[in-house]
Amino acid sequence: MRALHQKLRRELGQLKGQIVTIALVLASGIASFLMLRGAADCLERSRDLYYDRYRFADVFLRLERAPETLTQRIEALPGVAAIETRIAQEVMLPLEGMPKPAYGRLLSLPAGRAPATNLLHLDRGRLPERGREDEVVLLESFANAHGLLPGHSLPAVINGRLRPLLVVGIARSPEFVYALSPGAMIADPKRSAVLWMDRRALATAFELESAFNEVSLRLQPGASDVTVRAALDRLFIPYGGEGAIARKDQLSNRILQGELGQLSGIAGMVPLVFLGVTAFLMRMVLGRLISLQRGQIATLKAVGYSDREVGRHYLGLVAVVLLPGSLLGILGGELLGRLILDLYIPIFRFPELEFRLSPQLVLLALCASGVAAGGGALLAVRAAVKLPPAEAMRPPSPPRYRRGLLERWGLSELAGPSGMMVLREIERRPLKLLLSALGIAGAVSLVVLGRFGMDSIDEYLEGTLRRSARQDLAVSFSQPLSPRAAQELRSIPGVLLAEGIRAIPIRARNGHRVRESVLMGLPPGGTLHHLIERRGRERSLPDDGVLITQTLAEILDVHIGDHLDLELREGERAEVRPVISGYIDEATGLQVYARSDRVAALSGDSGALSSVLLAVDPLQTGAILHRLRDFPKVLSVSELDEEIGREREQHESVFRVWTTISALLAAAVICGVVYNNARISLTARSRDLASLRVLGFSRREISLVLLSELALEVLVALPFGLLLGRLWADQMMAGIDQESFRWAGMVSLRTYGMAAGVTLGAALLSALWVRRSLDRLDLIAVLKTRE
Amino acid sequence: MGLGTGLALRASMVAAALSVPAPQSDAGLVVLACEALSKVYRMGEVDVRALDGVDFALHERELVVLVGASGSGKSTLLNILGGLDVPTSGRVCFGDLELSAAEEEELTQYRRRSVGFVFQFYNLIPSLTARENVALVTDIADDPLEPEEALALVGLGDRLDHFPAQLSGGEQQRVAIARAVAKRPKLLLCDEPTGALDSKTGILVLEVIERVNREVGTATAIITHNAPIAEIADRVVTLADGRVQSQRYVGRRARARDLSW
Repeated sequence: MRALHQKLRRELGQLKGQIVTIALVLASGIASFLMLRGAADCLERSRDLYYDRYRFADVFLRLERAPETLTQRIEALPGVAAIETRIAQEVMLPLEGMPKPAYGRLLSLPAGRAPATNLLHLDRGRLPERGREDEVVLLESFANAHGLLPGHSLPAVINGRLRPLLVVGIARSPEFVYALSPGAMIADPKRSAVLWMDRRALATAFELESAFNEVSLRLQPGASDVTVRAALDRLFIPYGGEGAIARKDQLSNRILQGELGQLSGIAGMVPLVFLGVTAFLMRMVLGRLISLQRGQIATLKAVGYSDREVGRHYLGLVAVVLLPGSLLGILGGELLGRLILDLYIPIFRFPELEFRLSPQLVLLALCASGVAAGGGALLAVRAAVKLPPAEAMRPPSPPRYRRGLLERWGLSELAGPSGMMVLREIERRPLKLLLSALGIAGAVSLVVLGRFGMDSIDEYLEGTLRRSARQDLAVSFSQPLSPRAAQELRSIPGVLLAEGIRAIPIRARNGHRVRESVLMGLPPGGTLHHLIERRGRERSLPDDGVLITQTLAEILDVHIGDHLDLELREGERAEVRPVISGYIDEATGLQVYARSDRVAALSGDSGALSSVLLAVDPLQTGAILHRLRDFPKVLSVSELDEEIGREREQHESVFRVWTTISALLAAAVICGVVYNNARISLTARSRDLASLRVLGFSRREISLVLLSELALEVLVALPFGLLLGRLWADQMMAGIDQESFRWAGMVSLRTYGMAAGVTLGAALLSALWVRRSLDRLDLIAVLKTRE
Repeated sequence: MGLGTGLALRASMVAAALSVPAPQSDAGLVVLACEALSKVYRMGEVDVRALDGVDFALHERELVVLVGASGSGKSTLLNILGGLDVPTSGRVCFGDLELSAAEEEELTQYRRRSVGFVFQFYNLIPSLTARENVALVTDIADDPLEPEEALALVGLGDRLDHFPAQLSGGEQQRVAIARAVAKRPKLLLCDEPTGALDSKTGILVLEVIERVNREVGTATAIITHNAPIAEIADRVVTLADGRVQSQRYVGRRARARDLSW
């Protein structure tokens, strides 16, 4: 067998280009799998550990107010393991330098003991002291975003009164792994505040002594949350219960779940492209080698090597691809996995999130790649094993060509003889074209997949947001002001237009279906804020009643003509019931719109304003901003351009990483397919190409014959791949939390162009690499041998 | 100096060098001439001298048969004359073009316009029909025959749309000849054109070559180690060990159809 090993070793030298490219495709497959599945596993592991150790609740319920004594009845419900009640209130944090005030939640902490559910992970400082009304623990993401530390003070509007609070601790909570403020578009740690305060202090401030308005439970193992929730809902009907929600519907968990679902989804799909291509290339390269060595196989068998020995000899190639490919793949997976997980660290706030590949996962990746490479090789080797020696001694029967479709379509006239060489080859082996194109298409779609998220955000920012928000500046106030404020701002030199907006935080309800939302009052005939639907249609405000975001209407199960139960969570906290006069299919959030005079009528004030939108002379923006600083009660001023710019920049940096990774992985596949196809065509057709050279064709002309088949594969694959990318994008978008975002997957021309560029670039490079061999084509040797 | 006189001069130079009787009266001007041609191949550690100072000329309308044992250098000579290979030393001239010093692109143009090749193993493109195989050449040549015309010349006017796999060996070789002559080359170089054929088919193929030589006037060189074929030549050149060992003029060319082997 030593001689046979020697043969293998020498032949590997000739196949090194092929081996390297196949190993790269395989490595990309392993790396992409380890990166995506590894990141998902790490997130899941961190989540499970966090939820378990910090007793994340299984069931959550908000209510109006219930006496503390009710806890005994909850404890008595079958399946309940632990229960914690608390007081939760809205808080507005008018922070300096913030375009809009941050709305947050103020939650109570039990005095002198750890909560039974949803424990805090204290990053810094300490918990508030008993009875201290001014001490709070702040959510870590919010504190970080504002650079707040223990010892800093924080202005807060609690129960309508501005009070300075003292930050004593910075903490995380399993309830707020993903911190999204109600109505916010994207996780914005700057705007999503959670504060924890001593329960007694909070109870005094809101007159909720010996009472609570939120409860969370942990269930006994095996208990059904459906039964417990039903019992809980019945129990809390008299106390304004808003319907118990299961852990899976808890906002932060729901978004984390959605992201994990997507990540797992692509972790399942993307590596398939690579493994499929690996199997295909293995089959093709080895198949060609075996057909070239037909005579040698016959000799080996004739001198007494068994079929199995011959088979094993050729399967040796698999090991040579598998070994470096796996090593490179594991290394790449580890590196890329860290890179990807780093992108998640600012979004999902776990106490611990570290990329660690589990041995099981690595083993799984190795097995899958072994199956792919081995499977492809086995298909090819089977032919060598089955070949009887006597038959192998004879040259293979010549390929059969027919005149058929191509001639009927009149292509032979059009393509000329050298074009026909290409077309007939394709006609004879359509499967090869199809599989090659499929592999390339998969790679193309990968580039689209890595980039489309940014396009969707861009489309929203530039297409929807910019069409909707026409102001240059938005001025918000620390408390609602009279309509005179708009007139005052209008009188600043350089201000061209000023329109007042009223935004009231609301709780919309239909029976036990409840959602927090915002009631927006817009001036009739206003021009600075337009209502734009996600398909681009502009809507106008109804004269009467309210316009409700379609998704909110679906969640609440309310219809046009119904009265909508709204609790205004500002001032007198009035309960109002406007009529729904229309739906609006917006791209983000859950809102309710009405004319500002209707909102004034509902809230019972005389048209107070929360903010004013300004159109200004761009040359005077600086001066206007300066003047606004002197206005009392101006909480903040935001420039639309700047805000959009910031938003884009933040996303761009994330998507740059994804785009780079996906482009690199895609390039590996394309190079693998194109290079190997070109090499094989070259060996299979060197005789034809040499004949053409003898007949007087130049190198360029024969390169064209060799490479146009590949060009055709790429050109067939390209539109197909772009379409596939588009479909993937839609599927990914549908997996995003629909209450927050309902953007259509958007793929820009630039992304299509980039995918096409990466594809053509990688294909061209590989083709040129092979073309070099054409220059070394030995015309005489080729022509003197019998085929 | 005009092209014709240049060629004529070189022909006399070659004739003087070879010190053989002048060609028969119907031999035209020299088409291709080489002098002191050597070719050394390096095979591993050993230098193999395939050609060792060969002087040779081919005239218009002339049919030359090159004979010699295996390894005598016939194919190497033919490949150099055809612009497929370059000599290690010595000169090859085709008109004003010195092949031995020509650029790659000039050799390509030379093969495209002036030389037709016929090989032992036909070297047809299997995916193209007979007509298309010929069209490969007529598409890029300056003043070619129509593919149909070229195929009619070799007696295959009724096999235009057959693929090589659907043709017999002799027919395939005739397609190869049609392909070689369709460009109206100045030179037709045939390397063992009957080597893979039985005698009956071989004679058919030789008849075609003979006819092209006679009717189109293409200067033709045929390599063979099949001695009887030499009878159809104007001149027979024998090579041995990379040198021209002898050459003789055949007084009266035999007809291919009268041959047998």
